[in-house]
Amino acid sequence: MEPATENEWDRLSSSSSDGEEQAASDGSSSQFNRQQHVAFLMMMYESLPHHYQYQEINRITLAHFAISGLCLLGALDRVRVDKDAVSDWVLSLKAHPSNKADLTNGEFYGFHGSPSSQLHPDDNGVLMHNGSNLASTYCALAILKAVGYNFANIDSKSILTSMRNLQQHDGSFMPIHFGAEKDLRFVYCAAAICFLLEDWSGMDRERAKAYILNCQSYDGGFGLTPGSESHGGGTYCAVASLRLMGFIEDNVLSKNMSSSIIDLPLLLSWCLQRQAADGGFQGRANKPSDTCYAFWIGSVLRMLGGYNLIDKEALRGFLLTCQSQYGGFGKCPGDLPDLYHSFYGYTAFSLLEEPGLNPLCAELGMTEFSALGI
Amino acid sequence: MESDEGDEQQQEAERLPLSQRPEWSDVTPIPQDDGPNPVVPIAYKPEFSETMSYFRAVYYSDERSSRSFQLTKEAICLNPGNYTVWHFRRQIIETLHTDLQDELAFVGRIAKSNSKNYQHHRRWVAEKLGTGAVNKELQFTKKMLSLDAKNYHAWSYRQWVLQALGGWEDELDYCQILLGEDIFNNSAWNQRYFVVTRSPLLGGLIAMRDSEVNFTIEAILGNPENESPWRYLRGLYKDDTESWINDPRISSVCLKVLSTKSNYVFALSTLLDLICHGFRPSEEFREAINALNTPDSGPLDSDLGRAICRVLECVDPLRCNYWLWRKSKLPLTVSSQ
Repeated sequence: MEPATENEWDRLSSSSSDGEEQAASDGSSSQFNRQQHVAFLMMMYESLPHHYQYQEINRITLAHFAISGLCLLGALDRVRVDKDAVSDWVLSLKAHPSNKADLTNGEFYGFHGSPSSQLHPDDNGVLMHNGSNLASTYCALAILKAVGYNFANIDSKSILTSMRNLQQHDGSFMPIHFGAEKDLRFVYCAAAICFLLEDWSGMDRERAKAYILNCQSYDGGFGLTPGSESHGGGTYCAVASLRLMGFIEDNVLSKNMSSSIIDLPLLLSWCLQRQAADGGFQGRANKPSDTCYAFWIGSVLRMLGGYNLIDKEALRGFLLTCQSQYGGFGKCPGDLPDLYHSFYGYTAFSLLEEPGLNPLCAELGMTEFSALGI
Repeated sequence: MESDEGDEQQQEAERLPLSQRPEWSDVTPIPQDDGPNPVVPIAYKPEFSETMSYFRAVYYSDERSSRSFQLTKEAICLNPGNYTVWHFRRQIIETLHTDLQDELAFVGRIAKSNSKNYQHHRRWVAEKLGTGAVNKELQFTKKMLSLDAKNYHAWSYRQWVLQALGGWEDELDYCQILLGEDIFNNSAWNQRYFVVTRSPLLGGLIAMRDSEVNFTIEAILGNPENESPWRYLRGLYKDDTESWINDPRISSVCLKVLSTKSNYVFALSTLLDLICHGFRPSEEFREAINALNTPDSGPLDSDLGRAICRVLECVDPLRCNYWLWRKSKLPLTVSSQ
């Protein structure tokens, strides 16, 4: 993700509570600056600097980071966010089939990532340009959960029936009907979508499971595709999907590990080895630590029942060096903040049970309250 | 004809707005319809908005012309992440039968400055060209990896090329070269495993195991603090724990590293795993651990597994909770002989 220039962040710092000029590079502090983070997210919610135009096609993902982020910070009810306007905007991005037959025409009728790729149906009401995709659909549902939208009003049938068109013979998923990378990220999106819509008719779980198992590397972690290097994001997608689909029980580390469908001891060892000397988590062996892996790997450990095995103080220390004085988190210590690392920084602090933050549902990447529809 | 390399850089500086280009005068751009209350609106730069508005116009009317083709290039340069634009470009290629070799060159230039979003498009072109494209594609990924030897997207693309188009002949050598440059490159170790287990030209994991174990042990002895070869060594015995605990070279390398009294964390954890799987360590191992003289460890536990855990709690404090947990999971009757 492209960081903004320092000029852009000057605009932000003028809204900071103490108003003092500080050196741009030193954002470290001994505490999590919740107020500053709320201000940061509100700035992003109202307007993203032009650097984010590279993320334009996935604008709904950015919206998810901002809104779900506010939810995690326990601030969504107390800021200038019009929940109805948000749900209207999200729903406007839904792709609609013109008739029932469309649902098996090979296309997916989920949500678009942004109005820019969403062209209106032609004069006959046919949607010629369907850019809706799995990742945007997951983000759409996450936002709707955050604002408390009634899921009974969502056209789940069109989403689930057409989603089957995206699953491949080997169990993996394409994110979009006209083809793109097929990997674990989209298996995860599919599983999360089915879970949120409470209906597994959208995918063949056994086939998805088989694909996931093929992605476990010789070192215990999971790559994004069979044979690829084990990776924090891939490992999260694998374990979260298996959890959502019901193939890994709660707190499995305290139970009989030998009956697990994946090599659990090796996975555990791999995950814990990802905590580096600086206290942060790396995404792969021998790579630098990065804020977001505190979520990707931290969540895996939480889901398996092993989160208490990490060194929480050391992790907290690392994350605070990635905290920006302007609010938000950057990727590495001293980096300027971006929305992606900020969101995952907040989820990481939620896992660390930071006071004032809402508890996280690790499998869904959203607050437990949202997930449960409270 | 596709314009050449210099053009993409020139575009930023010399760009004439589309609204002022005579060849576009008959097209009405379609602005983005953000609705009444847009969420996270982006402060687009004018050339970005304009390019995308014209793109939407030709995309909507499905105009597969050479001016559309040129426009997709401009849109991709501004925003390589927009998969809709890549998709339309493919549709135009199919209709106009534009040159596929030129297309590979174009994707190559985009990939250099944006190492993430090109694979699907490149794969599509390579598939059309068939096995004849294999050398070019291996060259391309090699170039990407020379810029960043751990680029995840380049590696996954390279794996696709090998499996779909072939070209395995030099792959093990290539891994060797990369590991020679950086023995800590975990991506190269992973690729090595990929080649050893999947290459149709080698004998498969079991046939390759012996030489691979020797290679890996040398790498371990060179840098015992390097996680990658330890994981690789274990991986060579995937699904065959019996052979793993019975291969004397495994426990032997643990002992060798312990005897140096430095960088022995992985040696200890490997030894612990061996013991948990039934390996019976000789007295040498106890002596080597005794000789470490780690602080706070007190007299060595009579159970070697427990003793190792206690040492690890001290020397790998970040994972102290884990070693405590491992210790709690040890069967009570394991003894050192």
